[in-house]
Amino acid sequence: MTSQCAGCQQQKTQILILDDEPIVCKRLRPAFQKAGYEVETFTDSASAMARIEEKKFDIIITDLKMKGVDGMHFLERIKEIAPDTGVIVITGFATSETAGESFRKGAFDFVAKPFKLNDIIDTVRRLEGNRKR
Amino acid sequence: MNVIDGLRKVFSFWSPTKPSLPFSVLFKKFRSILERNNRILELMADMGDKLGGEYVFDRQYVLDISENIGDLVFKLISDLCVMTQTENVDLFISFERIQNDIQEELAGRRAFPMIRPAVLLDELNGDLNEEVGNKFANIGDIRNTLGLPTMDGFAITTRAFFDFMKANGLLKHIETSLAAVDLKDETAFEAMCDDVRTRILKGTIPRHVVSSINAMLDVVKGRAEVRYPRFAVRSSAWGEDSEFSFAGQYESVLNVPGNGIAEAYRRVIASAYTPEAWRYRLHRGFRESEMAMAVGCQLMVDAEVSGAMYTYAPLPLEKEAMMISAAWGLGPAVVSGLAESDTFVLDRMPPHNILSNESGHKVSKMVMDLNGGTAWREVPGHLQDKPCLSDEYIQRLAQAAIMIERYYRRPQDVEWAFDSKGNLYILQSRPLNVRPNQPDRHRLYIDHASLSAQVLFSGKGTVVQGGVASGKVYVARADDDLNDFPYGAILVARYTSPKYSKIMRKARGILTDIGSATGHMATLAREYRVPTVVDTGVATKVLKTGDEVTLDAIQNVVYEGTVNELSQFEITQEEVFEESYEYRLLKRILKKVNPLNLVDPHSESFKAARCLTFHDITRFVHEKAVERLIDLSENYQNYHDRTPKRLDCDIPLGLVIIDIDKGTSALPEARSMTVEQIESAPMKAMLQGLSESGMWETTPVAVDMGSMMSSFTRTFSSSLAGPEDVGRNLAVISNNYMNLHLRLGYHFTILDAYIGDELNDNYIYFRFLGGVSDLQRRSRRARFIAEVMECYDFRVEVHGDLIVGRLKKMSRDRMVSRMKVLGGLIGYTRQLDISMISDERIGQHVAEFMHRIDVLTEVGDDVPMCRLPATKDADSYTR
Repeated sequence: MTSQCAGCQQQKTQILILDDEPIVCKRLRPAFQKAGYEVETFTDSASAMARIEEKKFDIIITDLKMKGVDGMHFLERIKEIAPDTGVIVITGFATSETAGESFRKGAFDFVAKPFKLNDIIDTVRRLEGNRKR
Repeated sequence: MNVIDGLRKVFSFWSPTKPSLPFSVLFKKFRSILERNNRILELMADMGDKLGGEYVFDRQYVLDISENIGDLVFKLISDLCVMTQTENVDLFISFERIQNDIQEELAGRRAFPMIRPAVLLDELNGDLNEEVGNKFANIGDIRNTLGLPTMDGFAITTRAFFDFMKANGLLKHIETSLAAVDLKDETAFEAMCDDVRTRILKGTIPRHVVSSINAMLDVVKGRAEVRYPRFAVRSSAWGEDSEFSFAGQYESVLNVPGNGIAEAYRRVIASAYTPEAWRYRLHRGFRESEMAMAVGCQLMVDAEVSGAMYTYAPLPLEKEAMMISAAWGLGPAVVSGLAESDTFVLDRMPPHNILSNESGHKVSKMVMDLNGGTAWREVPGHLQDKPCLSDEYIQRLAQAAIMIERYYRRPQDVEWAFDSKGNLYILQSRPLNVRPNQPDRHRLYIDHASLSAQVLFSGKGTVVQGGVASGKVYVARADDDLNDFPYGAILVARYTSPKYSKIMRKARGILTDIGSATGHMATLAREYRVPTVVDTGVATKVLKTGDEVTLDAIQNVVYEGTVNELSQFEITQEEVFEESYEYRLLKRILKKVNPLNLVDPHSESFKAARCLTFHDITRFVHEKAVERLIDLSENYQNYHDRTPKRLDCDIPLGLVIIDIDKGTSALPEARSMTVEQIESAPMKAMLQGLSESGMWETTPVAVDMGSMMSSFTRTFSSSLAGPEDVGRNLAVISNNYMNLHLRLGYHFTILDAYIGDELNDNYIYFRFLGGVSDLQRRSRRARFIAEVMECYDFRVEVHGDLIVGRLKKMSRDRMVSRMKVLGGLIGYTRQLDISMISDERIGQHVAEFMHRIDVLTEVGDDVPMCRLPATKDADSYTR
């Protein structure tokens, strides 16, 4: 079993998740691990901001409305550092304006909270498919 | 109450019966009540779905939806005030009370009545961990939710602790002593501990605490088998048996007579202030304000053999083993390692085969001393090397422990005992901290395992209860009595059914083809935390009895074979969803929202003041609104410009029709009308379905006279519904619209529909409630109706025997054909619940009904979503 998987650590898609509600991180982390991803989670935007300066992630999932740096700024910064990082915005305050703004700023998709674990994993898989093309 | 009396006076000019608003305004309010009512039911279902574990939601969701639903309920009551022109003070008071409880919960203040100094174990559950400590809150779950055997007893609460400490000036004393002592000075620290303990041991227990303890003692003595029962008096402090075990830190006093409880109580409390226990707290960052000690008093088990069981043996996780340590006599021998014991290692998977056992040389055992306390005795020679557990005992123990583990979704450390009659008792259970040795490698296994396992189906249906389960499939046949359901199997069934409550304790998981996440079975599955997915559509087709599968009811995937890594992964996660703050909050709020207590409008307790939940209020308002509408149409005919018309019809519907706009061709002043004069599209179609299908005449299966008679007696003896009420039915129509309230016998149907040429405006809302027979027959009828309606594209929700079906945005022709189906259903189901004597009847009736309705509903290319029963299913139905 392990021999087959030797090296999968390197090939794994790297995901960063930022949401100031710890429950969201706690639920998403194991779900993505189970689905074969390498996950780092953050509940404060400052540390997440620092982390993206250090490490390149394939996919970033971020909340919009948070204390400190808000999701929109985070999204802008990601796109400055690594324009090809796929970003999925998750939020409980979904309005057409915020959705529009996040798409303009380069978000791949917009998922309204609450969502099913399967839905967010599907969104990530679609994003991966897009990136490979 | 003075304010309310004042309000009553101010509003007294408002007569509840004399309408002062035009009928059209009142009717608009009525429709608004219906809309809000539907919306509230939807939100309730939405909240229920979130408990399943399939959704990620946060605190904001709970806040938002609570506010939303409160707002709707308030407006609902306001609408009723306008409609009935009464102030409904009682209803507003009930609303404020519920709303206030919800606000308190959301603000983090637990809304429950002040707990008594001592409470029976029967009243405890996991939510009361602050009141009785984790240990006894867990015992409450084990005893009351899981129904596993525990000894009778009561808990002296943390409230009693604070009252005791305060009455003796101890809280203040500890605070000042602790501030003054140099923690590094071992001698000084120990002197402080000694001083505090001495004060506790000499302390006076406040009188109200003593009388509360005595009251509980009397209850437990009264139920005990022996005249002078002895008790085990044990600690249950805040934080104990949680992520911090505090194992062995606090004292337990065994074999205490009733009159010795006060002394034992003080000893247990004092044990919290030994230098070791106090240091343990200080080291782990517990503040002194976080120290509270509840104390449990349980009858002693005269144990023949006792010990501890780990649901994960301290071996590599991959071994999938559990372990039992056991010795003759009382538990401390094993738990505190005071004597030699036997060790059994078992397979975690049923039938839990013994993988290895090691018999200790058990020379002495701990027993209850006749004079109180415990004593050591020599074990008879022939028993010293004999294993102290039989295979049967091991099996029972393993099943109980796994049930507790499944509930907490954490490996467990269970303390247990068997008495000389072979009764098993669970003494306590605490989470066992199992962490993989190499978390990274462990994670590597998990995704590899889940990615390489064969997926049978995924993302189908609704998760009712999350969790991971591996086991053998057991497909329940329609008429299955489930007596042969094997322990540890995964139940696969066509429908959800309350009858599966029977196997909740044995099943590892449940999958159904059809069913709702809000029904009775779903509630039970959540209670026992059995991983459950309903409405998959495919489970019985894909799976057959004996298949080995793994159900991941978190991601909602069913895998072929046993994927141990998945359950290991689940069980070693840092937080269990059910233990998360958000889950517990939502669950507590749902208790104020969801349960329906006002079920029977004819009962004495159907009153505004008796509304305990938002659901109750919603139900009450709806009933009153319908009553008011009927009252208005019958008694105030001059008041509105539409003359209500009695419908002349072969079928005795007792229907009065109010035409608000071009709904009939009868003269405006006519007092009666014929079926032919109906112009209202929905009503015409409904009546056609009812009469032309010939369903009304149907008496599907001979009626059993007993339940028929009980239906009559119940209807007519009821104090609130005199015979004159029966058959007083009402419809408000226009050319495109119908709102129908129909009470036929004990069935109550509401149909609200708009059918016009504009596709987007079209909708049908159908609600069906009531019945004569027992719950099981009624829920079979509900499933019959649901199945037929789903076949015709309705979105159907079944809440017990309440069925709500919705359909939107279909063409006029399709809408008309579906109204005919509903008309047929109303006729067909009149007495149907009485004939629903077995599950297979459901299928027979579906086939019969579809056959009859077919002719009436042929519309061009309109083929119903499913043509039930498909040939394969038909076989299984008629078998």
